[in-house]
Amino acid sequence: MISELLYVSLKYGLLLLEGLRTTFIITIASYAIGFAGGLCIAIARVFFHKILKVFAGVYVELFRGTPMLVQLFFVYYALPEIGIRVDPVTASIIAIGLNSAAYQAEYIRSALSSIPYSEIEAAYSLGLTKLNILIYIMLPQAIRIAIPTLTNEAIYLFKYSSIAYFVTASELMYVGKLIATRTFLYVEVYVLLALLYILFSIVLSEIARYIERKLQIPGYVT
Amino acid sequence: MLKEELLIVEDLWKFIDGKPVLKGITFDVSRGETKVILGPSGAGKSTLLRCINLLVVPDRGRIIFDGEDVLKRRDIHNVRSKMGFVFQHFNLFSHMTALENVMLGLVKVKKMPKHEAEKKAKEALMAVGIAEELWNRYPAQLSGGQQQRVAIARALAMEPKLILFDEPTSALDPELIWEVLNVMERLAKAKMTMIVVTHEIGFAMRVASEVMFLDDGMILERGPPEQVILNPCNERVKRFMDRMKYVYSLDTG
Repeated sequence: MISELLYVSLKYGLLLLEGLRTTFIITIASYAIGFAGGLCIAIARVFFHKILKVFAGVYVELFRGTPMLVQLFFVYYALPEIGIRVDPVTASIIAIGLNSAAYQAEYIRSALSSIPYSEIEAAYSLGLTKLNILIYIMLPQAIRIAIPTLTNEAIYLFKYSSIAYFVTASELMYVGKLIATRTFLYVEVYVLLALLYILFSIVLSEIARYIERKLQIPGYVT
Repeated sequence: MLKEELLIVEDLWKFIDGKPVLKGITFDVSRGETKVILGPSGAGKSTLLRCINLLVVPDRGRIIFDGEDVLKRRDIHNVRSKMGFVFQHFNLFSHMTALENVMLGLVKVKKMPKHEAEKKAKEALMAVGIAEELWNRYPAQLSGGQQQRVAIARALAMEPKLILFDEPTSALDPELIWEVLNVMERLAKAKMTMIVVTHEIGFAMRVASEVMFLDDGMILERGPPEQVILNPCNERVKRFMDRMKYVYSLDTG
């Protein structure tokens, strides 16, 4: 087992690294889309008037209520029907990003609504506008509160970017499958993949813990 | 020419869930005056204060502040920036240091350059007796009395024409109450115009130019503190004050 693991690592190391790179690209890009989208949706749901609120609500229910794989297939196979053709990696980034936006919106929304109204009232009493209150009072606190769940989402995306395999994006899972069929060392290759996923998940959560510590408000116990 | 009344409240009504909380409140506040509002919990005292700076929008009535009809202004945040508000639970921004708390309004509302705002904020903190070593502490690292004084500094720094205090000492223990009342008394002596909702009748006796007793959304009695606190005419007010005097052992008999 060990020698086979070494063999695969040495012979296909470069290929695996390329797969890992694509996995990272999909993860980071879709997370960014998800965060930006999620932030907008959350703000719309907490802060704005009816119509926007309804749109945001429908979006969340739609993307939370259907499997991510269906969404991916829709982007990759259905969009070309109306003339939008995208490559596998881009399709994955769009689908996973849009899906993640629904979840991140909920994390940020619950963080936003957990900020005590007393502070918001104090900000109004100083003469701050609604937008300034959002930017300087609500968001800085909401992001701090949401960091643990947002980290969870990042780790989740890192692992579930593997569904890009189904639309032939050459990410880690796809490369692994390729090597496995070529070498017939299925178990060894998948063990190697699992180790890689675990390793980088731990790295991600350590980075998040570092950020959390950095942003912690002194003396403040949540 | 400046008119003597800074604030005129006329026939103010507020309904919450269909029930009247304020029933036609009318009073005015002159420049430099300290008005104290006494009354039991649920009388509408906090709602009244919040109506004055429109944190709560009244349903009927007029509020004239500094010669302007507040309810007709669309840029209400500009009106609010001229009225300070000090809350029972301090309501400091928990993710900002004491100094940043005081600076925020100066920078974002008054559009002051940072260094100027910092200078001004430090002056305000000094004025309420918050020493330099506390400026960079976060609210959670300060005592209640310190937090409330920072909150007063935050209001003061904006150079308001009027400061509204909503039970500023109710969440503090006696020693810290003294800290805060002391600052407020100095403000009153410096002719800051203030409306103070409080249960501190000792403070009211010393500082108030007029005391109003509010119950059930109405002003039951108003007048100089000696009258309302020591010799009220209204039966309800008398009962309340008798109990207050017992609690604070202020029975001068």
